[in-house]
Amino acid sequence: MSAGALAVEHVGKRFVTPQGTVTAVEDVSFSVKKGEFVSIIGPSGCGKSTLFAIIGGLLDQYEGRVLVDGHTVDGAHHDIGMVFQEESTFPWRTTIENIAFPLEVAGMPKKERLEKAVHFLELVGLTDFAHRYPSELSGGMRQRTAMARTLAFEPKILLMDEPFAALDEQTRLLLGDQVLRIWRELNQTTLLITHNITEAVQLSDRVLVMTYRPGRLKREVPIDLPRPRSSEVVGSVAFGQLVGQIWKDLREEASRGMKATEGGRND
Amino acid sequence: MAAPQVITPAQRWHPQLLRLATLVVLGLAWETASRFNSTLNLAMPSLLMIAKALFAILFDGKFYQHLGITLWQVVASMVVGGLAGVGLGLWGGLKRRFGQAIEPYVYYLAPTPKIIILPVLILMFGVGSGSKIAMGALSCFFPILLSTLAGVWQINPVLIRVGRSFHLSNRQMLTLVYLPAVMRPVITGVRLGLGMAITGVLLSQIRLSNAGLGFLAISAFQTFQVADMYAILILVFALAALANAGVASVERRLGG
Repeated sequence: MSAGALAVEHVGKRFVTPQGTVTAVEDVSFSVKKGEFVSIIGPSGCGKSTLFAIIGGLLDQYEGRVLVDGHTVDGAHHDIGMVFQEESTFPWRTTIENIAFPLEVAGMPKKERLEKAVHFLELVGLTDFAHRYPSELSGGMRQRTAMARTLAFEPKILLMDEPFAALDEQTRLLLGDQVLRIWRELNQTTLLITHNITEAVQLSDRVLVMTYRPGRLKREVPIDLPRPRSSEVVGSVAFGQLVGQIWKDLREEASRGMKATEGGRND
Repeated sequence: MAAPQVITPAQRWHPQLLRLATLVVLGLAWETASRFNSTLNLAMPSLLMIAKALFAILFDGKFYQHLGITLWQVVASMVVGGLAGVGLGLWGGLKRRFGQAIEPYVYYLAPTPKIIILPVLILMFGVGSGSKIAMGALSCFFPILLSTLAGVWQINPVLIRVGRSFHLSNRQMLTLVYLPAVMRPVITGVRLGLGMAITGVLLSQIRLSNAGLGFLAISAFQTFQVADMYAILILVFALAALANAGVASVERRLGG
């Protein structure tokens, strides 16, 4: 598995709705270095999910370019693996079969792909649940299954859209530790999209703050907390300062978003 | 502290025991009516006579011939109606415009009793197995089509996005995402359709035929062998229950 570098150049997206044109994302440019962990944080309705879909290649017809290791990527591609916010495991497959899914798609023989899937199963700590169906797992375990499935795809860039949004705060903090361990072990270039400040600071090398509609990059906050990091970091003074700093930026955007929504407009 | 639970007399009866008791009471009522009322005696022969008739039929090779014909007609109509229903359901589910265009027709045709077009089917497929299979196929087609359509429309959209993010080909999308995702609703449709197919086949055998369990039942009736008729009805009931249990067990296994 080779890590890659991601570059997003002047990406924008407009949607035409019956009420007029909505600019969801406007002129977003940033890059993620090889092996780096970057988070994009923004209020609800800031176009985070649009950006996620564009980078993942699920949306076409957008402005700008997405590049992996200097090459433009277009459409869904092997370089970028996505982990979705929603429950996305296949309910008719066991954990191990879910993880082996991208290998099956690639045409790998059954024995080989199950052997390979075991590695990713161990990585996310679900060895004891290999032959369980998603309905028999907790929400956190299902998201780990989805993450392992994407890792088995061996993407150069791991792209995650609020994968732990549906989980409680404690589970989320503990899963954060696991994510960091995996990220370190695989030297996996990772881009996380989230609305959770704690999560962004806990995990990232840099946090990019987005504005409420149209979604632009407002500020880049380097997270210089020492590595390796564990969830205990949330108790440190430096952590609190970073969260406060990001919240200051985000607060204005979030209240703009709230006003717009309460004014009768939906996302 | 929880108060001690009060057990009412009704709760003391185990549901299965109660079920058995119901059957015994019904049997006794039947037997009483049969013995003490000469008019009812014709319509409700003694249970003993029915039991005798049942054994006689079970040891008669001719019964198995008719059973075989009925089974073949039901299986053939499930194959024809099921393939058509699943095929059109997948097509209509994936091509949403087409699906929405045909949905109202399907919706209103589904509960229409198909037996009214038996004459047409006889004209088209003859008086033999052809028209019975056509009737059975037509009967099971609609529930299977409807549940397949609903199944495709209810697929969690994120699973499609997962498929696209792993860049599946159209073919892989069908075999690895759509088909497994609709398996459960399709099986439910098959279970509903099976009952309809059995009904369709038996009804057309009763209307016009010289073979099959429907024919056996109606000829027993026409020759006033009412006990024989009941025996056949019991066997048909057992057959339908067995088939239903078979599909239900497949359904459970898919439950995962």
